[in-house]
Amino acid sequence: MPATVQNDALVYKGSNFLRQRLLLSTLSGRSVKIEEIRSTHNDPGLREYEVSLIRLLDKVTNGTRVELSETGTSLFYQPGILIGGQVTHSCSTQRGIGYYLEILLALGPFCKEPLNAVLQGVTHHDLDVSVDKVKTAALPVLLKFILVDDGLELKVVRRGAPPLGGGEVVFRCPVRRHLRPLQWSSWGLVKRIRGIVYALRVSPTMANRVVEAAKGVMLKFLPDVYINTDQCRGPNAGKSPGFGVSLVAETNEKTFYCSEAKSPEAGSGESALPEDIGRECAQRLLDEIYRGGCVDSGCQWLLALWMALGQKDVSECVVGPLSDYTIGFLQHLKEFFGVMFKLEVLRTDDDDSDDEAAPAQRVKMTCVGIGYVNMSKRTM
Amino acid sequence: MADESAFDKKKSHRAKHAGRKAEKKKKKNQLDQSNLSARQRNPKAFAIQSAVRAERQFRRKEDIIAKKQHIPQVDKTPLEPPPIVVAVVGPPRVGKTTVINNLIKSFVKTNVTSINGPVTIVTSKKRRLTLIECNNDVNSMIDIAKCADLVLLLCDASFGFEMEIFEFLNICQVHGMPKIMGVLTHLDMIKNAKTLKTTKKTLKHRFWTEVYAGAKLFYLSGIVHGEYLRNEVKNLSRFISVMKFRPLSWRMTHSYVLGDRMEDVTNQEAIRKDPKISRDVVLYGYVRGVPLMKDSAVHIAGIGDMKISELSHLPDPCPLPSKEKKRHLMERERQIYAPFSGVGGIVYDKDAVYIELKGSHSHKKEDEETNEKKELLKNVVETTETVDEQMQESGFKLFSGGAVIYPDMIKDDEYLQHNNKAQQSSDDSDSEEEDNDSDNDSGIDQSEKDSTKVPWDNDSASEKGDNSASEKEDNEDENKSSDDESEVVDFSSKWKDKLSEKATEAYFERQKTSKNIMRLVYGEFEIGNKNKDKIEDSDESDEEEIGGLFKRVTDTQKKKHKEKETLDVDECSFFYSLNKPTIRDWTSEANKQFLINSFVTGKRSADEDASELLKLDDASDGEDEEMFGDFEDLETGEKHAAEDKNNAKEETGNKRKGEMTKAEILEKKKKLKAKFDSEYDNPDEHRITGDHSYYENLKAEALKQSELNKSVFDNLDNGMRIEVEGFRPGLYVRMLFKNMPAEFVTNFEASYPILIGSLNMAEQNIGYVSCKVKKHRWYKKILKTNDPLIISLGWRRFQTLPIYSKIEDDLKCRYLKYTPEHVTCNMHFYGPITPQNSGFLALQTVTNDPNDIKQLGFRIAATGSVNEINKSTQIVKKLKLVGTPIKIYKKTAFIKDMFNSTLEVAKFEGARIKTVSGIRGQIKKAINKPEGGFRATFEDKIKMSDLVFCRTWFKVDVTRFYAPVVNLLMPVETKNAWQGMKTKGQLKRERNIKYDANNDSMYTDIQRQPAVFKPLVIPKALQKGLPYRFKPKSKITTLSGEAPKDTSKDRVAVVKSPYEQKVTSVMKMLKTNFETKKEVQKQATKERLKAHKRQMDAIEWRKLKRQKELKKKICRTLSKMGNKKKPQM
Repeated sequence: MPATVQNDALVYKGSNFLRQRLLLSTLSGRSVKIEEIRSTHNDPGLREYEVSLIRLLDKVTNGTRVELSETGTSLFYQPGILIGGQVTHSCSTQRGIGYYLEILLALGPFCKEPLNAVLQGVTHHDLDVSVDKVKTAALPVLLKFILVDDGLELKVVRRGAPPLGGGEVVFRCPVRRHLRPLQWSSWGLVKRIRGIVYALRVSPTMANRVVEAAKGVMLKFLPDVYINTDQCRGPNAGKSPGFGVSLVAETNEKTFYCSEAKSPEAGSGESALPEDIGRECAQRLLDEIYRGGCVDSGCQWLLALWMALGQKDVSECVVGPLSDYTIGFLQHLKEFFGVMFKLEVLRTDDDDSDDEAAPAQRVKMTCVGIGYVNMSKRTM
Repeated sequence: MADESAFDKKKSHRAKHAGRKAEKKKKKNQLDQSNLSARQRNPKAFAIQSAVRAERQFRRKEDIIAKKQHIPQVDKTPLEPPPIVVAVVGPPRVGKTTVINNLIKSFVKTNVTSINGPVTIVTSKKRRLTLIECNNDVNSMIDIAKCADLVLLLCDASFGFEMEIFEFLNICQVHGMPKIMGVLTHLDMIKNAKTLKTTKKTLKHRFWTEVYAGAKLFYLSGIVHGEYLRNEVKNLSRFISVMKFRPLSWRMTHSYVLGDRMEDVTNQEAIRKDPKISRDVVLYGYVRGVPLMKDSAVHIAGIGDMKISELSHLPDPCPLPSKEKKRHLMERERQIYAPFSGVGGIVYDKDAVYIELKGSHSHKKEDEETNEKKELLKNVVETTETVDEQMQESGFKLFSGGAVIYPDMIKDDEYLQHNNKAQQSSDDSDSEEEDNDSDNDSGIDQSEKDSTKVPWDNDSASEKGDNSASEKEDNEDENKSSDDESEVVDFSSKWKDKLSEKATEAYFERQKTSKNIMRLVYGEFEIGNKNKDKIEDSDESDEEEIGGLFKRVTDTQKKKHKEKETLDVDECSFFYSLNKPTIRDWTSEANKQFLINSFVTGKRSADEDASELLKLDDASDGEDEEMFGDFEDLETGEKHAAEDKNNAKEETGNKRKGEMTKAEILEKKKKLKAKFDSEYDNPDEHRITGDHSYYENLKAEALKQSELNKSVFDNLDNGMRIEVEGFRPGLYVRMLFKNMPAEFVTNFEASYPILIGSLNMAEQNIGYVSCKVKKHRWYKKILKTNDPLIISLGWRRFQTLPIYSKIEDDLKCRYLKYTPEHVTCNMHFYGPITPQNSGFLALQTVTNDPNDIKQLGFRIAATGSVNEINKSTQIVKKLKLVGTPIKIYKKTAFIKDMFNSTLEVAKFEGARIKTVSGIRGQIKKAINKPEGGFRATFEDKIKMSDLVFCRTWFKVDVTRFYAPVVNLLMPVETKNAWQGMKTKGQLKRERNIKYDANNDSMYTDIQRQPAVFKPLVIPKALQKGLPYRFKPKSKITTLSGEAPKDTSKDRVAVVKSPYEQKVTSVMKMLKTNFETKKEVQKQATKERLKAHKRQMDAIEWRKLKRQKELKKKICRTLSKMGNKKKPQM
């Protein structure tokens, strides 16, 4: 859905990609207007979790102006300056913490003060990346851009399953004046698989059964599999029962693929066997490994963002097949920053391999950074 | 004497002929000394004599090296750089125009009569210059300093340096120092050879202190026939053409264009109706700095922020000569380009560049020849766009009145057939959308595809055939369309075809791989110059339409429907967004094959497999051993084993697949080994050197990055490249600005530089800027808070109201009314957001009124740099609230007059207060009786006479005032007299407003009432305890209780009779006499005593001396006696 420009503000329709648009608006400093937000739905207007996102953005910025129409179907957002610092936010339980955390991750390096955010809510959600995935897959990507890890940290204080949540994470991010250009075209081979299984307010055997199943699949490929169990008790276990697993595959070039699976929401009527969860997660991880690329498919858009926000130099990365979300994000990047990626599908050199072990379609992304500098940072 | 000299004769040296030393020497001389290094020849001289000295030496060397190091920067100069901007700056009547004229003449051998605006000339195979003269306006000076690469600073030697020179140097320093060369003119005015010499010397040294020691200063000794001496100009031009430049940080992050041509393309009719209508103006110029992005906002210095509504590149009007051969004998190498000066104006009217302006104003009637040329050139211009795009666009009609058929439709049809969806497309474009849709969802919906196929693989085998088929169609179609074209434009398109054929082929090759995915993501984006064409089309049809980037030509119902569906989808960053597909079972053996090699346990490619590498290692080691036995030259580290290597290559080459890499690895290993050996064997390398690896790594990284930057888009076609990379520096671009104020065109003056600087992200926004600033030491006045100030920051010049402040130790910004002298202070203003650390300068006025200048002397009021940007400010002013006590209890007091209301008090509850005498306290609670009164407690009882202070801070707001200096819009005669907001003082002076001084501030004589103290009353209890002498005695109590008589009152004054008076006076005289006599006697006694003492001392001394001598004598005799005795003993 292309944007139209109306006195220097980008005008969009529909609530889709709201998060991307607000994020890019905040980074670019361009105002954005979103119209027809669920205007034809039964409950029109912004959802609670979106309002919560706007509140969070307001907390980390200074001078942000938000105008909501009476019906809530139209939103005008004029971004301010990123401040960062100490932020506490209780996220909406309609979405996971990952929904908010990804935004903070993208904004973190460009704040005035190092970000120290405490987010409360649902740590594991079906629609959003879990905090474990952000920690294991996304942080290493950011680290590639900022190079020195001085205080980049994500701590899971408490876990919380939907629908009630009760989890808490602490996210710390250092600030940078600009990001480095990144050339990353080989991702190596998977050398170890780690994982974490959490069980909240359910029998501890659940966790062990998940581990068994997941390990059973992974050991067929690699002997180095080690899965932790995180048995939470008391207030640390959040407010709702649930269990789940996230697996990480690490390659010898420091690429991390992460997959996750969780039990269905308590009270939804569905139920799942722990074995199924474990197997599903393992299968997803294998799928991720098959797709390959230098980053996990869920972090492609973050990679694209940080590549585009680099100095005026060429960045080059190879990723697996582009996800829908990334495609949408690339379009938005072009609209907000005018940066266009050169995308090439990498072909394998030898054609005979096509029949036996065809790798997935890999995409080489090349772009020239827009020379983004952290405008908020203070110099003395 | 003679025999002495004979005695002194030295023995001559006789070299040893035998023995150890002689042998050593012989041995030494045997070796050939000629090609040995000094170190080898005389190792002892280089040995470490003293560890301390060696350490110092080493440290000094490292210091020098470290001083030379700069942070490596990625070199961003493009392969074909834009012309270097050479600005000629100086006060009026110093010979600027003559210098430019002479330079042009010396470079391109043409005489230019009138110079106006920038002149671009080709000076060598790889270098072009843009010469620009700076007029005597501080605005122009600032703009020139921002864009010049090299500045020729002209100075009248007979007069010396003028203020403008120093001002300009200061401007340069703030905005990034370009290279500066001084040029002294009017040297012939100084007749005396000696004064000439001294003048040169003093000027040179003054210049050096300003720029840097050793800066180049040229002397143009005189004018002959209105020109400078030829060899001197030649020398100057030679220096210019070898000049090297260092990147400046602002220009390495911002692209900019120095406009060298301006066209007004507004509809003439509209202008006729309303001469003040906003114009559409086209500006031309070379892109400089970094690539210019298509939709970036720009700032035109002297006008304001603008949006480029169209940006396209044109063929270079002044190309470098080496690039391409002459196609036409008529075509002369264009060596000079200066549209404002009207150089070769007629020639340029017929040039390709002007053909762009078809239909705008001129060129209604042209002869056939020009038409032909135009056609040719137009084609050239179009071939710089993508051929593919043209193909896509070119449609043809099968039947008259039928729908126009486009190539991609055919492709789509093919696609549909293949999928057995022979759905009769009523709407052709509909099917196109269908195709796009299937692309767009990136194949996630796998309903159409069989289960083994990977869901996202959108070009798997089944589609591949399809693609190639459609591409064939494409090619066919291309032929068709080109045929079509050839009918229309017969001769011109033929050669174009040949030219484009190769490009087309190559292009399709690439597009097969890259275009699909890019189209999938970005849709049908426009490439390169297409934007412009579209607009022109729309211009023809008189439609006002902005070419939106993503605007599709056809918006069909279906598309809209699809959009509607995706409109409100929940956002989710997972790969399988919301619909979860069944993933293929990776545990099955068949599928396992795809994956197994992604793990470290799987098989690796030949160059990574450890076992292969090991084998190789063994093999190479064996070879190495052989080689070492035979061939290696230890000294040079060179190995003569080419044949062996080849053999090895052949042998291994037969073994297996991937052997090429193996051979390569072998090669690499050998190289590494050779390098190691040479390093290890060469003793010279053993010297202690500092560890510069960190710096070297940084440098290598920067180099690598710059190479990547240059090479990565090389194989991309130009349009696509511009889309991805932006308009790279060196391209000649055309920028269309809509809604330009009419004054820009009507008051246009080419001698004012048009600097178009691009703004990066967020720089077009306005906020509060905090910077550190220092008043210039040559500026005569200090600056006052909230006085309007003109600031040149980034590309901009604007007027704003600054507030000065000082950062306290607790990082609080304390308001200052005036700038301090000789120290930096903080400054806040409301203005454009600019990156931190960018420098700025401030002026109080930019008018060029000579009286003003004379009065001011130096116009630059302050310089500084940006610290921080924010959307709010926190500047505070000290505020003391004063109150007085109403009632005082022990340590509690009620205070009034500090606040006006209870609410105010409530806000200050708990605040610290203090009396003048230093008794501290706290505000407790408001009381109701006097409004604003409150209860407070203190650490001690206060006095009613005490004043009570509450020290607080008052927030000062920065006035939101920001006005760009729009000097380019002023009429020509007042262009240098822009006057923005005036200071209050100025206004008052102009209108002769005089304020009555505040009476409270007047100095008046202090009238002090003499203090009246109450009598001191000592309590009785205390009196009792006092010692007698401290007891008050004046009041004598009697037994009866009544006050005693004052005895002094009863005394009677004594009045003496004249006789008595005489007696008294005589007595007084006698007494005085007696006293004096006594005094004299006393003095005399003192003297006498002193003399006597001296005498006694002398006697004593003599006595002592005598005794001493006696003692000495005795001792001597005693010791003599002792000595005599000793030998006997």
